Amino acid sequence: MIPSKNHIGQSHRRKNAFRHLAGRGRFVTDLALPRMVHAAFVRSPMAKGNIVELDVSEAAAASGVVRVFTAETLNHTCVPWTGTLDHFAGMQSGAQNMLASNEVLWVGHPVVMILAHSRAEAEDACELVMLDIEDEDAVVDGDAALVKGTPLAAEGINSNMCFQTVLETPDLDDAFTRSAHVVEGKFTFGRHTAVTLEPRAIIADFDPSTGQLDVHHGTQTPYQFQDVYARHFGLSEGRVRVIAPDIGGSFGMKLHVYHEEMAAVAASLMLGRPVRFVADRLESFVSDIHARDHRVTARMALDAEGGILAMDVDDMTQIGAFSSYPRTSVAEGNQVIRLMGAPYQMPDYRGRLSVVFQNKVQTSQYRAVGHPIACAVTEALVDRAAELLDLDPFEIRRRNLLADDAYPHISATGYQFEKLSHQASLEKLHQMIGYEALRAEQIALRKQGIYRGIGIAPFVEITNPGAAFYGIGGARISAQDGAVIRLTPAGDVHCAISVTEQGQGTETIIAQIVADQLGVTPDQVKVTTGDTDNTPSGGATWACRGAGIGGETALRAGRKLQAQILTLAGEILQADPMHLALASGAVVDKTTGQERITLAEIGRIATYRPDTLPKGSDNSLTAAQHFAPSGYPFDFTNGIQASHVEVDIETGVTRLLKHWVVEDCGRIINPLLVDEQIRGGVVQGLGPAFFEECLYDDMGQMTNASLVDYLVPMAGEMPDIEIAHIETPTLDTILGAKGVGEAGTAAAGAAAMNAVNDALRPLGARISQTPMTPLRILTALGHV
Amino acid sequence: MELLGSQNLAATPDQVWAALFDRDVLEQSIPGCESLEQTSDTSFVAVVKLKIGPVSARFKGEIELSDIDPGKSCTLSGKGSGGIAGFAKGAALVTLTPEGDYTVLDYTADVAVGGKLAALGNRLIKSTAKKLTDEFFANFTKALTAEEEEPVT
Repeated sequence: MIPSKNHIGQSHRRKNAFRHLAGRGRFVTDLALPRMVHAAFVRSPMAKGNIVELDVSEAAAASGVVRVFTAETLNHTCVPWTGTLDHFAGMQSGAQNMLASNEVLWVGHPVVMILAHSRAEAEDACELVMLDIEDEDAVVDGDAALVKGTPLAAEGINSNMCFQTVLETPDLDDAFTRSAHVVEGKFTFGRHTAVTLEPRAIIADFDPSTGQLDVHHGTQTPYQFQDVYARHFGLSEGRVRVIAPDIGGSFGMKLHVYHEEMAAVAASLMLGRPVRFVADRLESFVSDIHARDHRVTARMALDAEGGILAMDVDDMTQIGAFSSYPRTSVAEGNQVIRLMGAPYQMPDYRGRLSVVFQNKVQTSQYRAVGHPIACAVTEALVDRAAELLDLDPFEIRRRNLLADDAYPHISATGYQFEKLSHQASLEKLHQMIGYEALRAEQIALRKQGIYRGIGIAPFVEITNPGAAFYGIGGARISAQDGAVIRLTPAGDVHCAISVTEQGQGTETIIAQIVADQLGVTPDQVKVTTGDTDNTPSGGATWACRGAGIGGETALRAGRKLQAQILTLAGEILQADPMHLALASGAVVDKTTGQERITLAEIGRIATYRPDTLPKGSDNSLTAAQHFAPSGYPFDFTNGIQASHVEVDIETGVTRLLKHWVVEDCGRIINPLLVDEQIRGGVVQGLGPAFFEECLYDDMGQMTNASLVDYLVPMAGEMPDIEIAHIETPTLDTILGAKGVGEAGTAAAGAAAMNAVNDALRPLGARISQTPMTPLRILTALGHV
Repeated sequence: MELLGSQNLAATPDQVWAALFDRDVLEQSIPGCESLEQTSDTSFVAVVKLKIGPVSARFKGEIELSDIDPGKSCTLSGKGSGGIAGFAKGAALVTLTPEGDYTVLDYTADVAVGGKLAALGNRLIKSTAKKLTDEFFANFTKALTAEEEEPVT
């Protein structure tokens, strides 16, 4: 007999992995529609300037060109968008439209859109555009941007300060006065970007005969874009369908509004034919959102025993010429200052945030929004305190991490923690890495001139946001998700759900959850995602909400359908539904487990012979359920990571020897996929710690905008990643899952920076900037 | 980005000076020059086709000569737009010093590039600039020699 009712907690392989490996993926990039035209953009080569001449006549006459659009001919079709939210008081940003009309504001800013029969012809025509820009002094550096007299980075703002805020407990200053020790540091975190395997891709297909706009869009948030396209192009929402098929990676990069996607929609509306835009790698670097770009000054007050009393933090984050839409570019900095010191029983805190405009491509939400910065700063200071007090890094954390029985707890920055497992995670990690042996080896190897380091970093991760993230600020971003589950006439199960799949296995875990509610195997559950016409409305996949919110939605929808099936079965069998259950693809007797009627038979009767049902029976075999978190405003997960590195002090090259993670994501639905998420996340955290950086010159030119010069982490550089779990389910939901997508990214860089500094410590050197390139390490060592 | 260089030319400073202001010589000397139009005694408009690393483009640009000290030194300023490839602009101080039968031409140039040229070609700009400069002076020397043989009236 096939086991049932226990698929939650089992390792099932990703349903779509085989299809992808077999080359059967269906990405927007693969799609070709009849009469489709291809878009290419002429972009600003200057960081800031005025367009003094724009002549597209030669381009318009070029071979294969269908249409050429400029700001004058395209922008009037779209209501401009402004990336501000009401709950960020005093926040400002200029309004944006598709093509630059007078001013160009970053290198890569789209100025002209050319549509042709092929991308190659469109690109050739781009070379024929005469664009003359009178360059102006660009705002390149965030600190300089705030100096009085510096030009403004964009129109429609009254200063280069997008947003500033201070978060402060009343006793902060007193805590520093009382303290026995203060440690401090200045940190710089470079810009990096997503580098998804499939770049941004869209095919907008407007049919003038029906008034229907279909948008095939490689996005993680189809409903958000349905709303954006309807509102900004004056269409009825019901006539806008967004289809997000297979997506080659998103990582937060594919939920922002981009000029090119809006222009593709606008052009399709005007031409009445499909318009395709697929970014090439080079334009991705100067038009996809970038991430991070922070300078942080921080200090930490401690008592004589190494107890953390307070942190005082100042974060300056540089976001480009505009705040991104509709989620803003402020959320990152906001989370940086709120996550500082989060794992610790730290009573007092002050966090200052300055979000600053500059003439570069926008930065915005990217995997583990704000987390890596808060974690790296906090953990670097804890390590400095340990060094000062001559305490072991584990011991100082043992003294300060929140006790496992201290919940519920409200952090100094106002976060409410339901229940976390820091102390248990710390001890588990200590044991897992064989700490004493590693230290002994480190000491022995130093005598041979080999410098190894061990770094640890506990973390807290925000997941499952309710409306507090965006809804209260006025953004039309769904705080809930929806699922529709039906039993087919043949007794199979179909689930249409609003959370989306980007390769992390969303569809697989939803099938597991649904299977358990209906007594079938996950293989019998087909899951549909990523289509606004065929799935109910919801927030989709970001902020780790797929499992925690999407999973709970699926569970509740499954239970609703279960009740409907049992009621119907009771009527057919003349039995009390209370005495029936679902198992092994059938309705069974609850106590004996004996099969009474198969699901296929229920489906057959309800569909083809409803006449045989008792009069008044409800033959519905479809259940719809929406779910929004209603308990804590967010869930929090926790964990701890350790990094083991070897630094070659002659070359500055760091070798990553091993990485460990102890993670508590609440209920684990699929251990295999949870570990995959953590490993991928760790790599995405180590990338910017050692390799990834968008480099700009002092004129605002990005100078490494290709994969020749921009370094992404490759398998060869990555260490083995060992993972262990603690499970503390949330009691806010039946499922108890909290989410895991960003945990790896949250603390990997922090652990790595502590490890590198542990290796450098005997040499009196220290690094506080990422990526930790060989040159920066050699500089820290005083060799250059 | 700063570029420095020096060339020994087999001509007198006056011959070199005259050639520097000669449209035909310049047209033959500028690598990839498709057209060169003299717009005044001291300014030219050029269309040049160039390939820098993976970026190839036609640049339309203006060249202006200023700070003129006849037979001794002048400043060449240029600004070129290469469509989607980006732009290049710069200024070079050129000085001529007689040395025996030769004239030593020294130049100090400050060059900035933008757009795809900066994004992709940054590592290649110096080597490309060196190559283009060498090519320019090779052509220039050839043109100078030809001028001597068939003086322009």
